[in-house]
Amino acid sequence: MRLVAENLSRSFGRRAFGPVSFRIETGRVLGVAGENGSGKTTLLKTLAGLIRPSGGYAKIFFDGEEAGDGHEPRDIPWSIGWCAPDLSLYGELTAEENLIFFERVRGRAAQLSGVKALLAEVGLPESSYSKKALGALSTGQRQRVKLAFATLHEPDLLLLDEPGANLDEAGRSIVQKVVSEQRFRGITVIASNDPRDLALTDERVTLS
Amino acid sequence: MSAPRPAAGILPAAIAVFRRELLAEWRTRVAVNSLFLFAFAVLVLVAYVVGPTRLSPEDRPTVNAVLLWIVLFFSAMTGLSRTFVHEEDAGTAAALRLSAPPPGVLLGKLFANVVLLGAVTAFIVPLFVVFMGFEIKEPLLFVLLLLLGISGLASASTFTAALVSKASAKGALFAVLAIPLLLPPLVGCVLATRVAATQADFSAGVDFLRLLVAYDGVVTTAAFLLFDAVWRE
Repeated sequence: MRLVAENLSRSFGRRAFGPVSFRIETGRVLGVAGENGSGKTTLLKTLAGLIRPSGGYAKIFFDGEEAGDGHEPRDIPWSIGWCAPDLSLYGELTAEENLIFFERVRGRAAQLSGVKALLAEVGLPESSYSKKALGALSTGQRQRVKLAFATLHEPDLLLLDEPGANLDEAGRSIVQKVVSEQRFRGITVIASNDPRDLALTDERVTLS
Repeated sequence: MSAPRPAAGILPAAIAVFRRELLAEWRTRVAVNSLFLFAFAVLVLVAYVVGPTRLSPEDRPTVNAVLLWIVLFFSAMTGLSRTFVHEEDAGTAAALRLSAPPPGVLLGKLFANVVLLGAVTAFIVPLFVVFMGFEIKEPLLFVLLLLLGISGLASASTFTAALVSKASAKGALFAVLAIPLLLPPLVGCVLATRVAATQADFSAGVDFLRLLVAYDGVVTTAAFLLFDAVWRE
C-alpha cells in the first residue's frame, strides 16, 4: 500500500496549506510539521477525506494497483483511522458504548471483549470506560479513547493530529505503541509540533 | 496490503444510529423535553382559551383540525432540528462521517425522529380529543393520516436539519427552509382531519391519503438522493 499526494492544496478564500507532494509506503511514518496556522490539521482532514482538496490530489494505492488506479480517501473511509483534537465522540455514552456503536455503523460485528481489551490497552480502567459517560472523563482519558477509536477497525491509513496532546508520560508510551503496531498494518501520518511526536516519524513534510 | 474492504451495509448502520439516538435521548431527554413541553403547553393554552364550548358546532371540526396540526407542526419544528445540528455543534459529525454510510445515517435519524414525533402524537392527540371535545367520525382515516402526516413532517424536518446543520444561523434557516416544504402536506392533513371529523366515510378521505403517500415518497426519495452531497460536503 502507498499514499501519494501530488500538488495537494486547500484554500478557504486564502491558502490553508500546499501545494505539497509526498509519497509514503506501508510500514512508514510520515511527520507533518509546521507553525501554528500552517495547515497541518487541514492537511490531515484532507487526507481523511473530510475536506476536498482545492488543487492536486491524494490517493491510496493498494498492492497490485497501478498509477492509473488508486482511491481517494473519501471513497474508502473504512480504511482510515483519525485522531485529532477536534474529533469528538458521544459524551452521553460510555467509552465502551461509543466504540461498540462505531463498530456497528461500520457493519462489523461488535465484540465486547475486543472493545474492552482495546480500551484496557490504551490504559483506561474498566470503571472509567464502562461505567462513566465519556463526557465525565478527563481530557487525557478522552484522548486515550480517541486513540482507541482511531485504531479500532485496524485502518490501513492512521492519521494522528497532535496525538500526544493532554497525555502524561504513560499516555505517550501508548502513542508509541499504537504507531509501532501500525507499522505492521499500513501507513501513519502524524501532524504535530511536539518533538516527541515527530521523533516517531521516518520522513517529514514541513508546511509553511 | 489487502484490497479495500466493502462499504458497511446501510441497514446495520441505520439500526445502530437509531439505537444510539434513542439511547442518547433517553439519557439526556433534550429533544423529548422540548417536544413534550411545547406540545403540552400549547394544548393547555388552546384548551383554556378556546375550549370545547366556545366554538360553534359547524366551526369546530375545522378549527380543531387546524389547532391539532399547529401543535404537531411546531413540536416538530422545535425538537427535530436537533438531530443533525447537535452532531455538528458537539463535533461528533466527523467521526460519524468516517464510520457510517451516509444513507444509514439518514435512515437511522429519520426512524428516531418518526418515533419521537410518534410518541408526542400518541401523547397529545388523546388529550386534545378530550380537552377540545373533538369528535372523530372516521377513526381509521384519522389514524392513517396521523401516521402519514408525522412521517412526512419527520422526513422533511430531518433532511432540512441536515441541510442547515453547518450554517451559522441554524434556527432561522431551518424555519425558512422547512416551512415552505411542510406547508403542502399540512394543508392536506388539516383538510383530511376535517373530513375524518365530519364524515363517517373512509372513501371521502382517500384522495388526501394518496396525496400524503405521494408527498412522503417524494420527500424521502429526494432526501436520500441529495443526502450524500449534503452530508459529505
